[in-house]
Amino acid sequence: MIKTNAIPIGKISLLLAILIWLALLLVDLIRIFGVINNLDSGISEEVTWGLEILFFFFTYFLYRHVFWKSKQVDFVTLLWRGASTGLFAAIAGLLTELIFFALGDSKIGKDPFLQTIFYHLNFAWSSIFLVSTALLWKHLILYQKTKKVVKQWQVFELSMLAALFFIFFNHNNFDYSFLFGLVILLVISILLSANLKWIPYLNFKEKWKTLLFLFLILLSATLLFYRILAYGNEERFQINLTDNLFLMALFGFVMVYGLFSFLVTLFNLPTSSVFEQKLTEALNFQKLSQSIQPEENEEQVLDILVNSCIGASFSDGAWIALNPTEQLKIQNPLRFIEPSTLTELTSLLPAEFQNWTLSPTNELQPYSIRLKHPSYKSALLVPLLVNKTLLAQIVLVKEVKEGFNKEMVNIIGTFARQASISVENHRLLNQAISSERYQEELKIAQRVQKALLPLQLDHPSSFDICAYSNTADEVGGDYYDTYQVDEHRFVLIIGDVSGKGTSAAFHMAQMKGVFQSLIQMGLGPADFMIKANSALSKCLERNHFITASIFELNTLSQQFRHARAGHIPTLRYSAQSHTAEFIAVDGLGLGIVRNQNYENHVQEVTGNYQAGDFLILLTDGILESRNDVGEQFGYTRLKELVEANPQMPPLQLQKAIIDSLHQFVGGDGMIDDDYSLVVVKFK
Amino acid sequence: MLQIEKVREGDVLILQLIGEVDASNSVLLDQSIQESLQPEITVVVIDGQELKYISSAGLGVFMSYVDDFFERGIHFSIFGLTQQVGEVFKILGLDRVIAIVPDKSTAIALRK
Repeated sequence: MIKTNAIPIGKISLLLAILIWLALLLVDLIRIFGVINNLDSGISEEVTWGLEILFFFFTYFLYRHVFWKSKQVDFVTLLWRGASTGLFAAIAGLLTELIFFALGDSKIGKDPFLQTIFYHLNFAWSSIFLVSTALLWKHLILYQKTKKVVKQWQVFELSMLAALFFIFFNHNNFDYSFLFGLVILLVISILLSANLKWIPYLNFKEKWKTLLFLFLILLSATLLFYRILAYGNEERFQINLTDNLFLMALFGFVMVYGLFSFLVTLFNLPTSSVFEQKLTEALNFQKLSQSIQPEENEEQVLDILVNSCIGASFSDGAWIALNPTEQLKIQNPLRFIEPSTLTELTSLLPAEFQNWTLSPTNELQPYSIRLKHPSYKSALLVPLLVNKTLLAQIVLVKEVKEGFNKEMVNIIGTFARQASISVENHRLLNQAISSERYQEELKIAQRVQKALLPLQLDHPSSFDICAYSNTADEVGGDYYDTYQVDEHRFVLIIGDVSGKGTSAAFHMAQMKGVFQSLIQMGLGPADFMIKANSALSKCLERNHFITASIFELNTLSQQFRHARAGHIPTLRYSAQSHTAEFIAVDGLGLGIVRNQNYENHVQEVTGNYQAGDFLILLTDGILESRNDVGEQFGYTRLKELVEANPQMPPLQLQKAIIDSLHQFVGGDGMIDDDYSLVVVKFK
Repeated sequence: MLQIEKVREGDVLILQLIGEVDASNSVLLDQSIQESLQPEITVVVIDGQELKYISSAGLGVFMSYVDDFFERGIHFSIFGLTQQVGEVFKILGLDRVIAIVPDKSTAIALRK
């Protein structure tokens, strides 16, 4: 089974080329045989020409395939292949001549069959060399091709195709039309020879090799050309294979492009180091631009930077000075400099270098200075700025005066800026990672804090209670709790820690501890506040305080005792009078006065309640929430809302209050404070 | 947004608070007081006429200075609070430890 998608084009082309060459030879031999024996072989010249064209075609396909397969092969190797083919063809030609020269006038030397065989062999080698070299040139011409170059090449290929069939019209006469065709093809060849983009990419060594191989190709081509001319002048062959426009134009093309390449490579030799330099700089720049991975470190960036700077400026020595305030270390800060020389040189550098101050004059560009040192005459200082602080300074030194020109300073400045960006990116990345970790921690804190608020509120059958709390940040400073003292006495507390966020959350946890421990001592509301103030005074930061409101409900006597420590007054709705009032009682926030004096700042009130009455304990987040014109939700709105809905069960009223609050703040308005709400309804 | 205008009149330091004091800028207020406390100051007056809002964190700043001022013999007072802001001081009971006075002259007169 032959797979259609795996036709071995190379092998088939090779086989066909060989067969056609044999046919060509056979036809010519028959023709000679006919001439010798005075017989008309009856084979016209056109048959030979046709076979010749076919031979060129298959050689072309063979080599096109070879080049297609060797796409990744570098130029020098390809040139070497071309040169070796050329040398083989040329040496084979020379050997043939030598053989015939040795045979001299002997019979075998004059044998027309032998001569014809060698002539055909030479023709085949020359054609193979020319076709393969032309395809090599194509490969080189189309390196970094543009549309224009591809068009030019197509025109050339079509012209060559026309030249291939030209023989049928011209019948191998060297006339004006032949000359005209040749000139046109040579002109196109010259035009194509301007495409030499591959040469600058060779390094110095490769250029020398290229020169050698190009020379060998040119030499081989010249030798073969002379041989073919010599054959053309001899009349001993029945048919001339080589005097055709295609082959001549191919010679022209191979020679012209070879010569151009040779000369351009030669003239490029002195500047090749500059080109190589630019290429290295580009690679270094790329290395610096690749933002460093989190596991890599800033020292590596500095390392690359120093090496790049040395490379770009041909410095004789360098070192990195790291800002002592930055926590950075580098393994090998010295390059081509002895530690003793470093101390000598450092003392010669300007004060701003020594002090790590940012000099506004140099605008953080590298700046060169003169040195009065026995071996080093000039220095370039490269400041490396990261987040507005001077991270490091690189000092490049040279043994010549004014060794740093403008181009070097520019490229080194670019390197330094790129390195700064890399280091900054690296730091940002690390920050992002740690901030993500911080977010995780906050989520844990949030869970812990949620657990601090009671899930179940203690309540007897004589009242319903519900509570709601919302934090502006992940964690907040609002607190509420309940405690059952005995069968008929229940304590409710609501508290608010000054500030927001994590510090408030910690203080809120303290408040819970204080409440849960003190309330078990059976303290009344005012006494509780006094003790709580004393306890909290020892643990709150000086600028923090806690406000609280506490109720002790006696379900038997339907009475309450209440104390307020700087907290928002509690709203009490009376079912009897159908009105809601904020309970007025004096009381100073906890932690404001941190001594025995606090006793004078807290009061206790008592009151009665009836079925249908409400107590609404809240934090300032609700009353201070503002709408888009800066108006606060305030006491009155809350009071009116409760008065309008006395029939609601606590949960429904709580929901109504929160909905009303959100509506007041507006759809997208954020309530930028913690807010909590405890609603009690007596039965 | 908070803007703090400082005026020195001899041994009197007047800080005018313009805007709002909240958790985010209460540090600024603290710094501002800290910086202005030269040894010769005997009266610190907060001008609250343009103070639109103060959060608990802002109140905490004033609170933290009460004892300090008392020990150093500095008379500390606040004047010109709007009704809304004055209410906040009152609910917390801070009016019991900080002199809240109607105007500047009363505030300065406290030292006598």
